[in-house]
Amino acid sequence: MTDLAESLERLRQRFSAQAEAAIDERELDSLRVRYLGRQGEVTQLRRGIGTLPPDQRRDAGKAINDVVAVMEGRLAAASAALQARSFETELASSIDVTFPARKARLGSVHPVRQIIERTCDYFMRHGFAVVLGPEAEPEYYNFDALNIPADHPARENFDSFWLSDGLLLRPHTSPIQVRTMQRYPPPVAIVAPGKCYRRDATDARHLFQFHQVEGLLVAEGIHFGHLKGMLEGLCRELFGRRQKVRFRPSYFPFTEPSAEVDTTCPKCSGAGAPQGTRCGMCGGSGWIELGGAGMVHPNVLREVQYDPETYSGWAFGFGAERLGLALYDVDDIRRFVTSDPDFLVALS
Amino acid sequence: MRVPISWLRVFVALPRDSSEIASRLAMLGFPVEEIERRPRISGVVGGRIVELGKHPNADRLAIARVEVGAGEPLTIATAATNVAAGQSIAVATIGAQLPALRIERRSMRGVVSEGMLISADELALPAEWFEDGILQFDSGMVPGSDVVNLFGLADDVLEVEITANRPDALSILGLARELASSYGVALDAPSARNPGEGDEAAGERPNVVLDSPDCRRFVVQRFNGVVAGTAPAWMRVRLALAGQRPINTLVDVSNYVMLETGQPLHFYDAAAIHGSLRVRDARDGERVVTLDGVERALTAQALVIADERQTLCLAGIMGASVAEVAPSTNSILVEAANFNGARVRRTSKALALRSEASTRHEKSLPLALTDFGASRAAQLLTELGATAFAPRDYGARVAPASPIVLRLGEVARVLGLTIPRERITEHLRALGCTVEAADEALSVTPPLWRRDVSAPIDLIEEIARIEGYERIEASMPPVPAHGVSSDAFDLDRRTAQTLAALGYREVITLSLHGRRRSDRVARAGLTPEAEPIEVLNPLSEEQRFLRASLLPGLLEYLSAHPGNERIFEIGQIFSRDGSELRERTVATFGFAADAAADSWRDDAFLQLKGDCEALVRRVTGHGLTVQAATVFGMHPGKSATLSIADAQAGSLGCVDPRLSNAFELARNVYLCTLDLGALPPYQPPRYRVPSKFPSTYRDLAIVVDIGVAAAAVEATVARGLAPLGTAVSAFDEYRGAQVPAGRKSLALRMTLQRFDATITDEEADAAVAAVVRALEEEFGATLRA
Repeated sequence: MTDLAESLERLRQRFSAQAEAAIDERELDSLRVRYLGRQGEVTQLRRGIGTLPPDQRRDAGKAINDVVAVMEGRLAAASAALQARSFETELASSIDVTFPARKARLGSVHPVRQIIERTCDYFMRHGFAVVLGPEAEPEYYNFDALNIPADHPARENFDSFWLSDGLLLRPHTSPIQVRTMQRYPPPVAIVAPGKCYRRDATDARHLFQFHQVEGLLVAEGIHFGHLKGMLEGLCRELFGRRQKVRFRPSYFPFTEPSAEVDTTCPKCSGAGAPQGTRCGMCGGSGWIELGGAGMVHPNVLREVQYDPETYSGWAFGFGAERLGLALYDVDDIRRFVTSDPDFLVALS
Repeated sequence: MRVPISWLRVFVALPRDSSEIASRLAMLGFPVEEIERRPRISGVVGGRIVELGKHPNADRLAIARVEVGAGEPLTIATAATNVAAGQSIAVATIGAQLPALRIERRSMRGVVSEGMLISADELALPAEWFEDGILQFDSGMVPGSDVVNLFGLADDVLEVEITANRPDALSILGLARELASSYGVALDAPSARNPGEGDEAAGERPNVVLDSPDCRRFVVQRFNGVVAGTAPAWMRVRLALAGQRPINTLVDVSNYVMLETGQPLHFYDAAAIHGSLRVRDARDGERVVTLDGVERALTAQALVIADERQTLCLAGIMGASVAEVAPSTNSILVEAANFNGARVRRTSKALALRSEASTRHEKSLPLALTDFGASRAAQLLTELGATAFAPRDYGARVAPASPIVLRLGEVARVLGLTIPRERITEHLRALGCTVEAADEALSVTPPLWRRDVSAPIDLIEEIARIEGYERIEASMPPVPAHGVSSDAFDLDRRTAQTLAALGYREVITLSLHGRRRSDRVARAGLTPEAEPIEVLNPLSEEQRFLRASLLPGLLEYLSAHPGNERIFEIGQIFSRDGSELRERTVATFGFAADAAADSWRDDAFLQLKGDCEALVRRVTGHGLTVQAATVFGMHPGKSATLSIADAQAGSLGCVDPRLSNAFELARNVYLCTLDLGALPPYQPPRYRVPSKFPSTYRDLAIVVDIGVAAAAVEATVARGLAPLGTAVSAFDEYRGAQVPAGRKSLALRMTLQRFDATITDEEADAAVAAVVRALEEEFGATLRA
């Protein structure tokens, strides 16, 4: 055996022992450098080939290459073994997937806006536009143009906050109807959501500041049956497909015939007093009140220069917070204005 | 209005079940708010005390022998002191069920009592409204008759809501008529004949002068021989069930007629009247003591009824005590008048005096009710023994309304339901209309009591009501194309959705506020920009002012919820522009944050600014320019205005710490306000194709005066690099010991790139060198060592 062969064999044995003992990739890397790197022991030996007689150089080169191949094979095998062991450890670990999640920091829109948007979406799908309007409105738009002249007893139902003679905070969104019809020739199809104000004492069912969603459709050939169809569709959209809707005669100066619109109480599903206890949501009637509706009064159409002989239409106005009480099963309407973080999170 | 079902049954045959009647009324447009269930009472019969003697063993008890129809008189022990032989009373016989007890045979101190004499309480009537002791009935009551049936005591009472257009239905008879037409049964209305009619005792006919057109009609009638005693039991019971306390015969008749017919009456003691009655405007300062005992000062707005000496009545509202009927009264004048409803309402409001009469008059009653009301009063008073003289009427005559032509096609056009002509005719007749057929139309004369029916649309509503709304089939409308824009809503909605996506929660605060807010501003040492806008008629001091900004409401919210909430609100704010009220829609968003470590470095501000940039870009498609500025209520060194497409559109910054403190906030608050009305219309962003060649970058650290804005430096750098610079951004700032006083160090990164070839280091270095010279020239910048 030549000196070279002996050196190679010693090297190989030492290397093998060390490779076997290596515990991580870092150690394997340093072995690679120590033996096979630019200054590595094998490289040093290879450099010695030049000093050998020419006839031995070929064999020496081959012997070194063989050892290099063996060493690389060892390194690869050791690395693979290490990786396999590390996967084994990793895969043996487990977590408690039922542990509470880290809460996402999402924002949200107010529940009232959710209701308004859902309502508007429904109407927009059916070709309605959504129109907004000012909150401080002249008496004319709030009352006179809506067939409620001064001294009309119905003004009592709109107890309002006055800002000056003739100017008040709107008690309903109906001024938007008038403004829209004065601005656009017929036909019009709009929904008008917005904040309204009435001098009502605040309690679990009343707010002095609330939101209404109003709808108006005026065109040729529009009748009361269309009002029923559209509002039934809305209730089913908001509350579910089995929802029933009831129209009761009522009185509003700006519509005739007028109706109060009720829908099945979502809490007791219309049972009213299941197991003998009165439902807290509907008071045992099985119905909840959504708001008023009716066929636009010919006087209102005349006021905006629409010909009531040619055009007919309907309007409705629902309270968004009232809808919210039923939709989200909320116990107290004041929660919509206090907007506590917990409330907002729960309904977002 | 309280409606005893038993009283309705006097005029119309109704089903037994109260709930059925209630839902029928609701479907006619008269919602029933409450059904007051009457207790089950049985075994109570009419009786006559034939003999009353002392109890042998008890001083406080008496023994009555009571005739109750068939069989022997009953022996009943009683402790009541208002009993006497000959009285008609009610007896709870053995086995009777009363609200609180069941009657059994029992021995009272050795005497077996075969029942119990009844007081109001035992019939579930308000005890304090009736005589103390045993309830006294009229002598005509047949012994043995069933008292519960006779007086309708088993029937429930409905609380019915009557809409403002139907004063005719603010009466038992009005509702009975509605039910009769809906059930298709006959209405058994009382006769309209006035028993005084035809009497010609001219001397007893009072003269009335109408000095105001606001008294449209005035029917007056004199009665002699009246007695203000106890009214008959049937009347007292009906009034009590209807929630009206019985007082005396005269007051009770007046109330009874009002509840039954809807026509308020006023009874004057004839002896207190001197000369003619005059209906006139009150004189300013005129004083009157009304029946409630309150002395009131009037203005010319009030309408009064006076004689030659004194004011006798506030027209349509309440009488004066000078002519009040009393036990001594033996002749009266009955007034059944019709007044202008608006005038009654205004006066009633101004005097803060409402009565059952004014709530009816203020809805403008039909003229014809005057005569009917007077007749009903005359019938009742004469039944009670009074002598009626002929009624006299003044003012407008009662005449039928002019006929309305109703084209049949209109009914279907409005309702979407075709109802046969015969059926329409039937419905209208049931409501009291006179209907005549015309060509494809009907000629309809509404009844005298319906002032609210005057146009075809009113008839269509009546037809729909009686037919039933549920008969109209629901269908989807054809919605035609129209030109109405949804832009404002789109903007509002996109703003809210983007802020939510940025992690903000929407809150809604109150638009009205009290003085507390202005006090807080004052406490912070700030002078408000303008006088707050006042509400003329707030319900409470907390609603006195209209908000000029969303900021205080949000500060209150953050103060009440000291978590890490990021919040926003979109709402209207109000200001004065000369005499005009100006209203704007703004979005305000922000959060509370802890103070930064270095006074000149403020990550919270930059975070807010970043959110604002993202919002504006999403909502308008535009970028944002921020400029240091003084903003009311904000930290003078940490606030800015923002503009979009060269128009000012809001502000942002740190709230003045003195103001936050005044709102009891422990941390700094950062808020940004966008004026939604000032935003430019949405402009879609344009895509710029990136260079295919690699870019390189250079960082630059310069020292400039503290007042030099990073944005100005960036602009100069961008100009200097053009066309090689693709991005310039300041990324660090330092102030402190390592730079001279009054100066700051600014670090910038510049990205350089060519669109036609790979940029070389030499090109980049040359461009940066040029930039350094420009910065030196423009800002006196030096390179940081």
